[in-house]
Amino acid sequence: MQDDFTYIALADDDEDDRLFFTEAFEELKLKTKVDTFIDGVALMKALRDADTFIPNILFLDLNMPKKSGLDCLKEIKRNHKFRDMAVAIYSTSASEEDIENTFVNGANIYIKKPNDFKTLKKVLLDVVTINWQYHTNGLNRDNFLLRL
Amino acid sequence: MKGIKLQKLYNSERFLKIIFGLGLFIVLCMGGLAYKYVRELSESFRLVQHTYEVHVELEKLLSLLKDAESGKRGYIISKDSTFLKPLLTNRVALDESLDQLQTLMDENPQQQQNVKDLRLKIDKSLAIFDTTLALADRGKIESMEFKSAFQEGRRVMNSVRFQMIDMTAQENQVLKKRREASSESLSSAPLSVYYVLIFCLAILLLTYVQISKNLKTLRQKNEQLETFKESSTQSAMVSKHGNWIWHEDDNRFEFSDSLYRLLGEEPESFVPTYDNFLEFVHPADRDRLTEQMDAMYVKKELPYIHYRIRQKNGHIKHFKAYAKLLVDMEGHARLLGTTADVTDEKENYRMLEEKNAELEKNNKELASFNYVASHDLQEPLRKIQTFISRLEDKDMGNLSGSSRMYLDRIKTASERMRSLIDDLLQYSRTNTSDQAMEMSDVNDLLDAAKQDLAEVIMEKTATITSDAFPKMKVIPFQIKQLFLNLISNSLKYSKEDTAPVIKIGYATAKAKHLKTLKSSKYRSYHIITLEDNGIGFDQQYVDQIFELFNRLHGKSEYSGTGIGLSICKKIVENHNGEITAQGNLGQGATFTVYLPIR
Repeated sequence: MQDDFTYIALADDDEDDRLFFTEAFEELKLKTKVDTFIDGVALMKALRDADTFIPNILFLDLNMPKKSGLDCLKEIKRNHKFRDMAVAIYSTSASEEDIENTFVNGANIYIKKPNDFKTLKKVLLDVVTINWQYHTNGLNRDNFLLRL
Repeated sequence: MKGIKLQKLYNSERFLKIIFGLGLFIVLCMGGLAYKYVRELSESFRLVQHTYEVHVELEKLLSLLKDAESGKRGYIISKDSTFLKPLLTNRVALDESLDQLQTLMDENPQQQQNVKDLRLKIDKSLAIFDTTLALADRGKIESMEFKSAFQEGRRVMNSVRFQMIDMTAQENQVLKKRREASSESLSSAPLSVYYVLIFCLAILLLTYVQISKNLKTLRQKNEQLETFKESSTQSAMVSKHGNWIWHEDDNRFEFSDSLYRLLGEEPESFVPTYDNFLEFVHPADRDRLTEQMDAMYVKKELPYIHYRIRQKNGHIKHFKAYAKLLVDMEGHARLLGTTADVTDEKENYRMLEEKNAELEKNNKELASFNYVASHDLQEPLRKIQTFISRLEDKDMGNLSGSSRMYLDRIKTASERMRSLIDDLLQYSRTNTSDQAMEMSDVNDLLDAAKQDLAEVIMEKTATITSDAFPKMKVIPFQIKQLFLNLISNSLKYSKEDTAPVIKIGYATAKAKHLKTLKSSKYRSYHIITLEDNGIGFDQQYVDQIFELFNRLHGKSEYSGTGIGLSICKKIVENHNGEITAQGNLGQGATFTVYLPIR
């Protein structure tokens, strides 16, 4: 069942962003299953509970109450169970500091939330169709931030 | 300089000692010499007198003998016995005279012998006298015996006379010899004394010159010392410090006037003892200070200490003290101490710390503001824009003409809002000057900037030419931003009907040849020029174009936030450089960037 579609998860405290995200995937009509979590705590709880059900790609907002995206990232990267899960940072800001911190802590790609829906769909399509194996091997600081 | 002078003084002091010793020696020599001359003089005088005495004695002897002779003759002729009287008395006188001669000739063995011979001859002569007189008494004057005796008497008398002449001659000889011996040294004596005297005078003169010179130096040194004392008193007042001395020998303190003033007291207003001083020390610091002073008595040293004092008017002052041991040439140990009033310093430091804390707080606030600007402000805007795009996609067809126009206006406004936020963020990020400078290939940075603008460059069919740049020590991403902003500025304000031509040039120059630089802390500068053929600007607005939010054109004419060139200025200032612009309305503008060569 897992092979049939790509399992995608998003942790974002912003309701509108969660809406844009799910609507974008609906319109893209890909074979995906999208789950959203309202903050880092909810995400980590779900990940801990789901033993076999691990997302293929996790989109992480950075600025979240209770548990920030960076904390989630660190926790995930410490856990061997999630070694095959790609982590995409999905944030409003693209400050050098945030980019540096998430890169060092093992995130796979950094996405700055686009300003219009068309771009959002394009970005999400790009991310889902990336050959992660290839991308992760050639990962470096220059292609970490997804440029459009 | 001072060392050399002291050395000279030391030398001259030694020189004086030598001169003094020499003078003393010469005077001693002269004394000895004079003594010797006087001795010689008196000796020769004695000799002359001696010879004279001998002469007199011999004359006397001769006259006595002559008296006796004439007496004898008188008696023989007249038979008057009174003529014999001198003959009798003269015998005693003769003996005395001979004895006298004997003593006079004490030193001369040869003359001694002569005297002895003389005595024998005189005795013989007297004996003949007696024989002659006896023969005459018997009336045998005509006899042969008498005649021969008389003749014998005359012969002996003559030999006595010769003997005497001989002795006189010998005495004269001795005198002459002695005189010759002494006259040599005596004749040269006055001249040598004169020379020595002149020499002595010369030395005295020299010494006088030296002494007066030394006195002058001493006076100068004294004046210097006086000046130094005055200036140190002044500096003590200005820098608020006082001096004190602790004499180890008798455990005695000395306070300078300024130290009294530091305590808020008149100089010499109390006896300078430690206990009296302690009364001024803040009660909370007394024990600690006493402890440190006790350690000072033992270690003969006082490291930097801080304490507070309370003046009689209640003012609290912060003091700092330090002392060092000084042992003079006689072995007296003194501890030289300096106490400074550091109240102002402390106060300033405290104020500085407060200001620093405030500044730090402000910086933190600014940083959080940056975050608000970058994140929180962007978020709602992004949503507005996304919702607009949703509306456009889904329901554009259902909207009326005016509603579509309103939607368009909302879109433009929110886009402007976005670029304002982005530029502001860029500007505030340029603030962080802790970015490390590194040797960078500026050609690459320019290429990267051109790459970012490739789309606009293509669209406007702009031509950009540039000189080759050397490697420079810069903050790379900021220099790229500088090129980006300057080029995009030129592209933005290009003429509508003319394809933009941008010339980027490079040169170097020494700071002294760059008259327009406001400050030139560095010796030489990189000069980067960017010349365009755009609309230019009126030169009178040159300072305004670099100011934040300052625009020379209406928003509808040219889009822009008025931040781009401010960012350029900030970047250049971060590199300790300067940026200027030269505008020519309708013909173009030239921007010149000066970056110091490190």
